[in-house]
Amino acid sequence: MISALIKWMQRYEGWVGAGGGLCILAGLYLGLVASPPDYYQGEVVRIMYVHVPLVQTGMLAYSTLFIGSLWYLWKRDPIVDNLCHAAAGISAFFTALGLITGSIWAKPTWNTWWTWDARLVSFAVMFLILVGYLMLRTFVDDPEREARYAAVLAIVGFVDLPIVHFSVEWWRTLHQPLSFSMRGVSMSKPMLIPLGIMTVGFSLTFFYMLMVRTQMLYLDHLLTAKKGRLLSQAHLSSDVGSSPSSLSTP
Amino acid sequence: MLTRGKKIGIIVSLLLVAGALAYLALGNFGDNLVYFFTPSEVVAFSSEHYDQKVRVGGMVVKGSVKSQSNPVGMTFELTDGAATIPVTFQGIPPDLFKEGQGAVVEGVWTPAKDFHSNMIMAKHSEDYMPIELRRAGVKLPKKDFMKTLVQ
Amino acid sequence: MTGLYLRWSALVIAAVVIAALASRYFEQNLTSLTPEEIVSLQPTRVVRVIGLVKGGTLRGDLDSGHASFELAGRQEALPVEYDGPPPENLRELKTLVVIGSLDPSSGTFLAHELALVTNYGYVVGAYLIGLLPLAIFLFGMERKVTFLYREIKESKLYEPETAHHVDTR
Repeated sequence: MISALIKWMQRYEGWVGAGGGLCILAGLYLGLVASPPDYYQGEVVRIMYVHVPLVQTGMLAYSTLFIGSLWYLWKRDPIVDNLCHAAAGISAFFTALGLITGSIWAKPTWNTWWTWDARLVSFAVMFLILVGYLMLRTFVDDPEREARYAAVLAIVGFVDLPIVHFSVEWWRTLHQPLSFSMRGVSMSKPMLIPLGIMTVGFSLTFFYMLMVRTQMLYLDHLLTAKKGRLLSQAHLSSDVGSSPSSLSTP
Repeated sequence: MLTRGKKIGIIVSLLLVAGALAYLALGNFGDNLVYFFTPSEVVAFSSEHYDQKVRVGGMVVKGSVKSQSNPVGMTFELTDGAATIPVTFQGIPPDLFKEGQGAVVEGVWTPAKDFHSNMIMAKHSEDYMPIELRRAGVKLPKKDFMKTLVQ
Repeated sequence: MTGLYLRWSALVIAAVVIAALASRYFEQNLTSLTPEEIVSLQPTRVVRVIGLVKGGTLRGDLDSGHASFELAGRQEALPVEYDGPPPENLRELKTLVVIGSLDPSSGTFLAHELALVTNYGYVVGAYLIGLLPLAIFLFGMERKVTFLYREIKESKLYEPETAHHVDTR
């Protein structure tokens, strides 16, 4: 009855979640207390340790959605569709938080909350694509069609990801270029460590959330389907006046 | 099979995504790729560009900043390595505005070949390090000047 | 269900401890006085003072690390003599933190270090906005999954159905 993937998630989700939680707690301590202020930005640089991992995780979640959508179109396994749906919701959440924290970082450094440069616009477009994806899913009735349309949409929308990543290298932007690129690493160690730990922590937390949310969507569908079938069986077999409590007996 | 409301919903959500992608591919985004002009482009402006609101990005020339208290403001020079333009600014500049660092200024290029602005956005590079390392002269990977506007 | 609440309370307690450590660190090391407070309190120990470097008052040789300027608060301006490592971020019309002590005889502030303005508000805001909704979102999901498992168990959905197809939707 319960799929193998769900069983696997039940078994391992605790380890992933605990790892993510511990990394974030350690990263919080390092980022807020132990790490030094930046030579140019001062204390505000601490926002980086939360903003960058949020954005990275949003993009990791979208990549998961992309791979999951391809997988779904290949295998047509409904549980993979649950996984995609879960990844999209989480990605939209992380992307929104990334946009807001970025805005909070921009005000004291750039002197503006928002500006229409290529990085900011392409990242906001990613958020809109995810919102469109989630909206589309609520409007299609047939579950098989819903999954198919959504998968295609997610795959098309994936073109935005490389644009988000490389926008700061391709065009003139107010946003600074990549700190990790072919040129090397432009961040010194005392700042690299909290950032790395936070990024690992957020990624693990994402995988944990993905496991929980996939189970949530799967169980929800399972319950609705089963209730629906039992209900129609009850309608077929018994009188209209039968009480709901008798529904569960076959 | 589908109700009218749901059909509209599907169309709206598809339009949202398609619109967002189209915006990226052709629409307004093309203009925003030139998020700011460089001083060389500003120097080459023809008269129809005068007194139009534009953004200019460049490095603040070292030793060029002169500030005064009454009215609060400053003058400085912006360069992209090839050309340098004078900027007159009114107001208090952002905290991260600094000589030798990048800045994007919003304002108008006047016929007197002077840039008037009351909005400065400070640009910072992708470098992150504590002040002690900076004083010790630690060098991080070489920058692309036109990306960071930092020397 | 109790496991869920236990895990989350442990996480919340850990987060509160880190927040307390952080706020203590900020209070001990990073609280600043204003120029007005310096003039009225006349402190004798080493203090941090926050203010705006007044336009047209900065003199000295920055490359060798000597400078004098006026640090303006809301009403008063405090004359500052800086002597230390070449300042990275000193310029006019900039809000700065100067670290040093007041010379009571001359009323000049002798600074040996400069720091950038500490924007706690933005930092705290970004961490709260980044992490709180995330925690609430995750907690809600976990709770729902726990409820769903319970509901499935109680409605005996694990028992085999008479119908053959196993469409999980």
